Amino acid sequence: MSGDPQQAAAARRGWLLSAPALLLLAVGATGPLAIMLVYSFLEPGDYGNVEWALSFEAWFNVILNRDIFDGTLSFADAHLSIFWRSAKLALLTTLFAFVVGFPTAWFIATRNAGARTALLFLITIPFWTNLLIRTFAINQIIRNEGFLNTFLLWIGAIDQPIVMLYTDFAVFLGMTYVYLPLMVLPLFAAIDRFDMALLQAGYDLYASRWQILRHVIVPVVKPGIIAGSILVFIPALGAYVTPRILGGGRNMMIGNFIELQFGQGRNWPLGAALSVVLLVLVSAALIVYTRFATGGDKPHG
Amino acid sequence: MSDENAVEARAARKIYGQGAGAVTALDGVSLLIRKGEFFTLLGPSGCGKTTLLKLIAGFESPTEGQILLDGTDITYDPPNRRPVNTVFQSYALFPHLTVADNIGFGLRMQGRPKREVADTVARMLALVRLEAMADRKPGQLSGGQQQRVALARALAPSPKVLLLDEPLSALDLQLRKEMQVELKRLQVETGITFVFVTHDQEEALTMSDRIGVMQAGRLLQVGDPRAIYTRPANRFVASFIGESNFLTGTRDGDTLALGAGPRLTATAMDGAPASGPVTAAIRPEQVRIVQGGGEGIPATVVRSVYFGTDTHAVVALTDGTEITVRMQSPASGDAGLAPGQEVRLTFEPGALIVLPEVA
Repeated sequence: MSGDPQQAAAARRGWLLSAPALLLLAVGATGPLAIMLVYSFLEPGDYGNVEWALSFEAWFNVILNRDIFDGTLSFADAHLSIFWRSAKLALLTTLFAFVVGFPTAWFIATRNAGARTALLFLITIPFWTNLLIRTFAINQIIRNEGFLNTFLLWIGAIDQPIVMLYTDFAVFLGMTYVYLPLMVLPLFAAIDRFDMALLQAGYDLYASRWQILRHVIVPVVKPGIIAGSILVFIPALGAYVTPRILGGGRNMMIGNFIELQFGQGRNWPLGAALSVVLLVLVSAALIVYTRFATGGDKPHG
Repeated sequence: MSDENAVEARAARKIYGQGAGAVTALDGVSLLIRKGEFFTLLGPSGCGKTTLLKLIAGFESPTEGQILLDGTDITYDPPNRRPVNTVFQSYALFPHLTVADNIGFGLRMQGRPKREVADTVARMLALVRLEAMADRKPGQLSGGQQQRVALARALAPSPKVLLLDEPLSALDLQLRKEMQVELKRLQVETGITFVFVTHDQEEALTMSDRIGVMQAGRLLQVGDPRAIYTRPANRFVASFIGESNFLTGTRDGDTLALGAGPRLTATAMDGAPASGPVTAAIRPEQVRIVQGGGEGIPATVVRSVYFGTDTHAVVALTDGTEITVRMQSPASGDAGLAPGQEVRLTFEPGALIVLPEVA
């Protein structure tokens, strides 16, 4: 804004200093994306890889199926159900992580300084262990002969093990566990800045506890809610390890389906097209979500 | 009687914590606040004045005793069920709402019709002269403007009592003076009972209809500013509100004997011992220095300090008691008092108050 030449020079130096990171980001983010985009318009090779011939078959196959014998077209139900399951599980995970994470973050943020540090430290402990190991631990807890079923059988609450492993529930449970800290930490940061005098002010001005939550707390900590939801929803939508281990082979999510195309499926163009679809879905979800979240801020009167 | 009083506290006691760590914040306070008055709770920090305010607002409930509003017991009603609103020390404005929405918050929570909310908000904006700021967020306002929004927000639901918890303490001196006038104006215009908490005695004296002086969880004296200033109930009140000189002597009826020295005419407060050793107080501006002989109590000038409009002189009586005298500086600026100079002190009858405690 100002025409101060010294400030302009400082701004230029700032750009120059961040140039390596910007370059890395530009190449690292757009490079693979460009490769995926190009691959999705090529033909699959016999042993993986691609044939350099233009083809729209992969994009065609994303939502449609051509019968091998008579060539009739039908919707690719399997693909659509995988998309639907991914979206459903990612949304449920985000929602549940918020429902569980909000009271947790509130509790931590309202402790004294010492307890707060200790509790935040506890929240980060799961990150010390590999994701794979943690997911296998969940597997051990919920499988038919696992801790949970053994315990329930032992106390006599059930007489047959409840089948939890390799269901959508298992995937949902695993993802909620894995991504919960990503919800708690931004929520904590937002609640920590929240001025508790606002609660008294709201209470003084005839608001019930529910109204204070709805009209004071939620709108003020909204940036934390948005950040936490995004941090949970995006990795949940593209999750690979958790649905692989807890969902078995049957309850695939987009991530597993894409991997399948690059692996046993030997259909790289389809995998590439699916990757681009995932990217578009995430971007669309983000745009809708942030619009909706910030648009709700309008005055009521 | 009860329809004369807006707020009544009956033997209100508040103890925080339990066992050995228990702290008595309020030690049996009984108080009547009249309808439509500007009542100030004055005292040093930790005297319990804010605790009493919280009991009236409903943020705390008393360990013992009762709080009545318009003659109705509200001791255990939650804050959102009391027709009482608070202006907080930190203002506590909702940062996500505009000025207009902040002011309308209480009315919306009460479920008032939109039309009524809009009308009241417009009226409040005019009352605190912030019409131009209606669509700003609190973060875009100056301290004084935020203060006025907080006032408007608390006044909008037409509470029976408005509580103000040291609302001016965050403002600079100039703004504080302006807001004192503004607050008094709002109180007169709205006719709402104001209960104002402060540790600033000047603020209390200039704004209040009546003042309650508190110390260590007790209410020491309640009265209008003149009564509090000219007839302090005890040594604490005499020294906390304005300055006082304290003299010890022996009382005998209307006279006070200072050691073997002069006998002075003194007015006794209720509860002062009728005879024997007592403490008496006199304001520095009530004492006059007479130079060059005549009537009065002999004294020696210790030092004199020039303050512009005032000159403060410290003089010593024959028994060594030091007395501060405040007088208007003469036109020449020099009061002509040199250390060691012999002078005489006089004062009007009634200026010397015998306090109700034994010396």
